[in-house]
Amino acid sequence: MHISPLSWIALSCAFVAAGIMVYYLVRRPRLDLAGMSLMFVGLGVLPIMVALIGNMQGLDATERQGFCGSCHTMDMWIEDANDPNSTSLAAIHSRTNKFGGKSCYVCHKDYGMYGYALTKLGGMGHVYKFLSEWMWYDRDEVIEKIHIARPFKNQNCMQCHSTTGSIWTGVADHNGLLDELRSGETSCVSAGCHGYAHPFSKPDEETPSSDEVHTAIHGGSPEGT
Amino acid sequence: MSPRARLKKFFDTASRSKLMIYACVLGLIALALMSWSLFDQGWIPVMVAMSVGQGIGTLSLVLFLAIAIIDLRRAEFRPSLPPNRGKPDDD
Repeated sequence: MHISPLSWIALSCAFVAAGIMVYYLVRRPRLDLAGMSLMFVGLGVLPIMVALIGNMQGLDATERQGFCGSCHTMDMWIEDANDPNSTSLAAIHSRTNKFGGKSCYVCHKDYGMYGYALTKLGGMGHVYKFLSEWMWYDRDEVIEKIHIARPFKNQNCMQCHSTTGSIWTGVADHNGLLDELRSGETSCVSAGCHGYAHPFSKPDEETPSSDEVHTAIHGGSPEGT
Repeated sequence: MSPRARLKKFFDTASRSKLMIYACVLGLIALALMSWSLFDQGWIPVMVAMSVGQGIGTLSLVLFLAIAIIDLRRAEFRPSLPPNRGKPDDD
């Protein structure tokens, strides 16, 4: 358990505020100007500090893998992303510093103008679905019934892979499908391209092996298109 | 009784010390819930802290403000300047 310096400040504020409240409950001082000022600090200033820091820490926590993985339905996704031997896109990306402990959020967040709020709204929808339905699923049912709400956007891949670099444009398949890839008509994470980001969750679908992906990137496409 | 009249009656008759006890108890519950999310950042503590915890904390602060309003309504304001008694007679 890691507690940040900001959290320690919040905990100190909470401790002092709790002390003031307990002092009132035990000693019942007079509510004159001094008493009211003390209670204003204990009931107003310090708890507001705790709430503000709590919000900052809480919103930061919602971007972390541990938060997404705290629902048991996401166990397998997190296990795969953190598996050092996995060659899935999710695992490969989770191993890089850019993604690290926030890989779920960095890949799945909405990068639009109101992206942060929309992503949080989407998360609230997940919480509702979890409480109303998903929490009763076992692992087999999770694989069978839980799917991404909307097709994965290529725009999210393009936050890092700009589609303009020489290595990227050097791949024949990329050049042939440039417009479709940029418009999102053809998905980067489809079975015929880089494969699904979480292939274990698509047992009946075909997904390319890591060798095939490697060949496509460094040696041109197998079909030579 | 209209809501406004009910509110007026509340401010006229409510006990300040009782309200402060409720405010403190609610405040302690809110602090406990908000502090929980600082230790455990799973979805339950974080969401509870940011919804229930802050809701209860706000209620606690509202009760404190109600006490302040009661104080102000019951206070007797005295002017800081003495009343003007006119010029004293010369003789």
